[in-house]
Amino acid sequence: MEFTEPVVLVLTSLADGPKHGYALAKDIESFAGIKLGPGTLYGALSRLEDRGWIEALPAEDRRRPYQITSAGAEHLSAHLHTASQVAATGLRRLEPKLTS
Amino acid sequence: MSRSWPAALLIAYPPDWRDRYGDELELLVRDLRDHGRNPVPMTFDLLRGAAAAWRRSRRGFTMSERSRQALITVLWSWVAFAATAAWFGHDLGIYPSRSIAQQIAGAHQLVPDAYHVLFGVGIAGLAATVIAAVPFALDAARYARASHRNSVFALMAVPPVTAGLWLGGVQLAGRADSTSGMTFAVVWLLLGLAGIAASTQAVISIVRTCEFSRTTWRIGAGAATAVAAAMLVGTGATIVWGLAFRASAGHSAGTSGWLIVMAIMAVTTARAVLALHASRRQSPTPAPAPAVA
Repeated sequence: MEFTEPVVLVLTSLADGPKHGYALAKDIESFAGIKLGPGTLYGALSRLEDRGWIEALPAEDRRRPYQITSAGAEHLSAHLHTASQVAATGLRRLEPKLTS
Repeated sequence: MSRSWPAALLIAYPPDWRDRYGDELELLVRDLRDHGRNPVPMTFDLLRGAAAAWRRSRRGFTMSERSRQALITVLWSWVAFAATAAWFGHDLGIYPSRSIAQQIAGAHQLVPDAYHVLFGVGIAGLAATVIAAVPFALDAARYARASHRNSVFALMAVPPVTAGLWLGGVQLAGRADSTSGMTFAVVWLLLGLAGIAASTQAVISIVRTCEFSRTTWRIGAGAATAVAAAMLVGTGATIVWGLAFRASAGHSAGTSGWLIVMAIMAVTTARAVLALHASRRQSPTPAPAPAVA
């Protein structure tokens, strides 16, 4: 599965504990400043659940929380390491242009 | 129960998707509206989500990680098993010597002929692998073309190119003189094993990377089950043959080769069976598509 932005945002949000749909949307908005729409959010959740990277917990008051699995944590970690290397390289190469 | 707008747009989603996520999505829409989210962008987002859900339900679905891993484990186990069985089966007619093989065959009429059983197992396993390989290759090519991933085509070329080069080398070895031919044959045999490993790894990379249709996964699951069953029969036949040999030739007979072969077969078979068993035991959250394999 390709790492689309909503998938990364959802996995990142679940990295510190289980959350249901609305809690996910609010958390993602708070740490990324992105308002994920309900269709986008549940599209990402269904893809992640199919892949076994998140799993559903028993529903609480009709709201079903999701938690990240160990496979999901491994894939997120690998993706974030790569992304951080790309970001560090990009920023280092941009530095001369930005300071001149 | 009637749904408020824009949650009414859930009707646009595929039925199985709606059965699984509909209630949760409706609650989310309501929560977002209660907290002041603009319904107009939500409407477009829901329609986009519905279109994506339909595309996925028609074109394919994503295999659960455990089931995908099970298929990969079965493939690796099968390759190791088949290489061992091919070597053992090749030697079986004269193992440990032609006269002893004939003695065993004469003394144990009821013992199945291990060579023929292994041959049958090989044919059955190979047929299952080829039958599964066709839809996987077609889906992988479709995925590679749609997502502009030429690396998938390169991976798909590894098994046929490796086989072609290896068979070409075998032809050359046949023309060489006996001394250099023997050295060449040993080196080429080792290269052949490396080629099998590289080809298997290429196939596994394709299975890991690409998305396949539900039908393709089902065919893969059926093939994996057939292969695991063939491995069980092959391992059983090898054990029976070895015990018959020990009974005929005595416990002092050199059976270390048989023990090694049997150990490899037993371990690879156990890995394949356990992987399939584990993939079927995974707790099914009510997902839109059933997990197979």
